[in-house]
Amino acid sequence: MEFLDLLSLGFSEALTPTNLGFCLLGALLGTLIGVLPGIGPTATIAVLLPITFYLPPLAGIIMLAGIYYGAQYGGSTTAILVNLPGEASSVVTAIDGYRMARNGRAGSALAVAALGSFFAGTVATFGIAIAGPTLSSFALSFGPAEYVSLMLFGLLAATVLARGPVLKAIGMVLLGLLFGMVGIDASSGEERLTFSAVELFDGIDFVVIAIGLFGFAEIIENLENHEARGVLVTKLSRLWPTGEDFRRAWPAVLRGTGVGTFLGVLPGGGATLASFCAYSVEKKASKNPKEFGNGAVEGVAGPEAANNAGAQSSFIPLLTLGIPSNNMMAMMLSAFIIHGITPGPTVLATQPEIFWGLVASMWVGNLMLVVINLPLIGIWVKLLTVPYRLLYPAILLFCCVGVYSINNRIFDVVLAAGFGLLGYAFRKAKCEAGPLLLGFVLGPLLETNIRRAMTISHGDPGVFYERPISLLLLIATVGMFVLMILPSFRRTRQEAFQDEEA
Amino acid sequence: MKHLIRNTTLATTLLLGAGVAHADWPGDRPIELIVAFAPGGGTDVMNRTLAPFIEKELGAKITILNRPGASGEIAYTAMTEANPDGYTASSLNTPGYLTMQMDRKVRFDPKKLCLVARIVEDPGSFIVQANSEFNSLKDLVAYAKANPGAVTVGTTGLGTDEHLAMLQLEKSAGVDFTAVTFNGANEARTALLGGHVMAIGINVGEFVGSDHSAFKNLGQFAEKRAVIAPDLPTAKEQGYEVLISSERGIAMGCDVPENIRTKFSDAVRKALDNPEFQGKAKQQSLALSYLSSEDWNREMPVRAERLGAIWKLAKEQQ
Repeated sequence: MEFLDLLSLGFSEALTPTNLGFCLLGALLGTLIGVLPGIGPTATIAVLLPITFYLPPLAGIIMLAGIYYGAQYGGSTTAILVNLPGEASSVVTAIDGYRMARNGRAGSALAVAALGSFFAGTVATFGIAIAGPTLSSFALSFGPAEYVSLMLFGLLAATVLARGPVLKAIGMVLLGLLFGMVGIDASSGEERLTFSAVELFDGIDFVVIAIGLFGFAEIIENLENHEARGVLVTKLSRLWPTGEDFRRAWPAVLRGTGVGTFLGVLPGGGATLASFCAYSVEKKASKNPKEFGNGAVEGVAGPEAANNAGAQSSFIPLLTLGIPSNNMMAMMLSAFIIHGITPGPTVLATQPEIFWGLVASMWVGNLMLVVINLPLIGIWVKLLTVPYRLLYPAILLFCCVGVYSINNRIFDVVLAAGFGLLGYAFRKAKCEAGPLLLGFVLGPLLETNIRRAMTISHGDPGVFYERPISLLLLIATVGMFVLMILPSFRRTRQEAFQDEEA
Repeated sequence: MKHLIRNTTLATTLLLGAGVAHADWPGDRPIELIVAFAPGGGTDVMNRTLAPFIEKELGAKITILNRPGASGEIAYTAMTEANPDGYTASSLNTPGYLTMQMDRKVRFDPKKLCLVARIVEDPGSFIVQANSEFNSLKDLVAYAKANPGAVTVGTTGLGTDEHLAMLQLEKSAGVDFTAVTFNGANEARTALLGGHVMAIGINVGEFVGSDHSAFKNLGQFAEKRAVIAPDLPTAKEQGYEVLISSERGIAMGCDVPENIRTKFSDAVRKALDNPEFQGKAKQQSLALSYLSSEDWNREMPVRAERLGAIWKLAKEQQ
């Protein structure tokens, strides 16, 4: 087995004291910025890029990678504890994770998230090692037409995220699409919904909308309610998941890992889609779909595994083709280039120690993260016992700093506050923000890809059903739609809704 | 080190003479360099790499602040509105800086923005897959002539350098291409690798600086071959009038005293000459091409006129 030799070469690189040290440093930093709401890994890595000038290439890259996946771990912590998703992938974790925390099971949720992530990270790392090049050629076969079909599937899946009636969920998805349109349209150069505000030319940033709809709105709602401010502290008993939790979580982790590894490879939105898809897979697979949204452990385990697997496998196109699949990977590409390494097939052949060293360090880093995070759970959970009147100003402050730091402007903070009010109104109307965010993320991808596909085919819609992958995805979309409008399915949805009301 | 900085500052202060109002520049406080693009991008990395070398020449501290958005308009507005004391400068990129003025009424007054130093001029180029039947722009044009509209060219949006290059080639060769818009060069490259478009526009620096074993370059759109790609024929050599490059440089407000702008410009020149920086520039495949404040200000209107003509073409086609 050739890849075992290469993998052991990788481990011998990753386990040198220097590289081990920088891996730990990256993982720690990542956890920290992940926990601080709004301060994302992209900004942190940008600030640290110049420092890596003075490090050996592999050590610098290992540290930056550590920050990236460390932030994924840290991000779920705030999503679960205070309902504050720092990035698109942890929006889903917040749905059931936060419910679990309110039911006094914060410890279980955090532990399941950490262990699930570790498992998924391990599988995805070996996935990269074994099938990296194959997976990347699969990703290349995804053209504009395939993306359109995939996004349609994803948008329909988004309605499953909501507890309430389908109609409300679809309405929220549409609103999300509308927000996604804001900005200058690249192919025509026209301004859309910018109201001549130059700050809106590039559209609304995801963090702005997420912090507003989740963070600010949550705080307003909590302050309104005098008795049960924040998380109920009294029921806080167990720190460790029960045997029952484990039994229910492990199949979800397996499914999430599969979905995440697979979708993470796709450039543009793949990794984001992973956690959303994993959630809808879990809800579909579950015997008690009405538990979802009320603290189902599968709803944390599946998406968490998926987003971590996706985070790892999004390295595949960068390492094997030299093409970054998202902003984060573009930053990693800069880091490579600063050190005179140009990732791609050539480096894979000529400098195997870089590729395999990084792959091995990812596994080591994941292990470190579990070791760091499991003992920390006790401390995080204690955080919930801090009186809310002390906790919320701190959350608010970090949110504002985070939002400001995206583009260094106050406009975004005001915009986030506006979304906070909107989010509060949505909560009063019992409309959920999850589907809106998915529409917001996927909408622009759907639009640009439709336009690309139609331009390339010179206006012939045949491309959508003549290409096999696209056809398959379209059939799956139609199949799911039929399932949704079938009477039996509608009944379960309504039952869930009535339970919620009762 | 600290002593060294203080001494240079002292020396330059003396040289400037006490009569100048801003005699203390640049010793008072850090100079803020606004980068008009997001952290981690080409412009950002270039400025962050260069800043320490300018610091050394000026004996001053430079802090980098990213103000991305609206292809630089936000940064240019912030810079022209800043106190004209020489402590605020901004990165400046063409053709974005010029095309935005053709397309809309911009929020800053271009008359208040003075070019200080050009750092890079990176020509555009067209690339195809390595195993493509096209080996030159001529092949591409011949195919487009036989099959009007069948050649799909990936660009990064209306009025970007790739798009303008495509329009120029269409006009010069009398053919029709189909432009397909992507959000950034990386998406376009992915689509080219997957065979979803036939060719894409890309800056020579981006091409040389990445693993390009899977691609083939058909020609660069420069007056003469860029230093980083001496073996790549220009469009002109192949008989087409296509001239597009993107420039990166530094600008300041025009109200900033001229001697400060000149000093900054000289410091950039010296920094670019530093062998250590040149080593780093080579790693990042920067097509270094310094122009002084005076030369760049003289050259810009010529460039604007050329772009204006192509821009009209783009608008007619819409």
